[in-house]
Amino acid sequence: MKKLKNTDYVELYAKKLKNDNSLFKQQKMLIESQLKASSSVFRNMFAEDNFKEKARAYLRNIGLLQK
Amino acid sequence: MQKAYKVEDDAIIINRDLTELDLFVRKFLEVLKKHSDYLIVSGFVSISTGRARGTEDIDVLVPIMDKSKFGSLLKELQNNGFWCYQGDKAEEVYGYVRNFSNVRFAKINEMYPNIEFVPIDETKKAKFFEFTHPQKIRVKDFEFKAPPIEFEILYKEMVLAGEKDIADAKHLRALFSELIKNEKFKEFKKIIMQDLR
Repeated sequence: MKKLKNTDYVELYAKKLKNDNSLFKQQKMLIESQLKASSSVFRNMFAEDNFKEKARAYLRNIGLLQK
Repeated sequence: MQKAYKVEDDAIIINRDLTELDLFVRKFLEVLKKHSDYLIVSGFVSISTGRARGTEDIDVLVPIMDKSKFGSLLKELQNNGFWCYQGDKAEEVYGYVRNFSNVRFAKINEMYPNIEFVPIDETKKAKFFEFTHPQKIRVKDFEFKAPPIEFEILYKEMVLAGEKDIADAKHLRALFSELIKNEKFKEFKKIIMQDLR
């Protein structure tokens, strides 16, 4: 039996979604849980006072902002 | 059980509820549209049409603007709860825009999601083509401009070509199999090839 690749699952899901919009509910949950998790991580990393300055220092360290 | 989308007056209507990600993008576009035209490209196009993955940034193509116009946009974004990674003043940020470097905006006290603001002009052939040939996508009362679906698929397959991009392209090909046209692939491939040379 052929082993399915990640992109095969993506294709199967899209084909099913085309005729069944109830799958959007799961997708909404996935997107919003990711947003919530990432928000919580960075709020914990950089307290709300001076958030921008701390965030910019972090971005410089990971190379996303010029030093 | 209903279909995922339909086409109405040249707009693709996606049959789902709005997500927090849509609300974030809509809020940004409400401000941006007062100052400039735009085109949303890449991951958000796939995600807004049902691709089951998260994203950290939403890529928005914006025609290059002068410093004064950019300053007004920056100020209004800040007044509407956004901050810019690159700086708080137009003097600090505009150098990036002028050099066609992307700048990012997020909501105050948040890092993600963020808008990746991508300055373009007519010298960026492929980007400028998609910008001038938008496809409207609507979810409830949220409407935005995206590239033609065939263009988005090819750009992901030919230019970006990462694992995530190939999967996004596969999603779009399968979901919109009844909409996409082979002759458009041929036309768009030539345009994208110009940028790859």
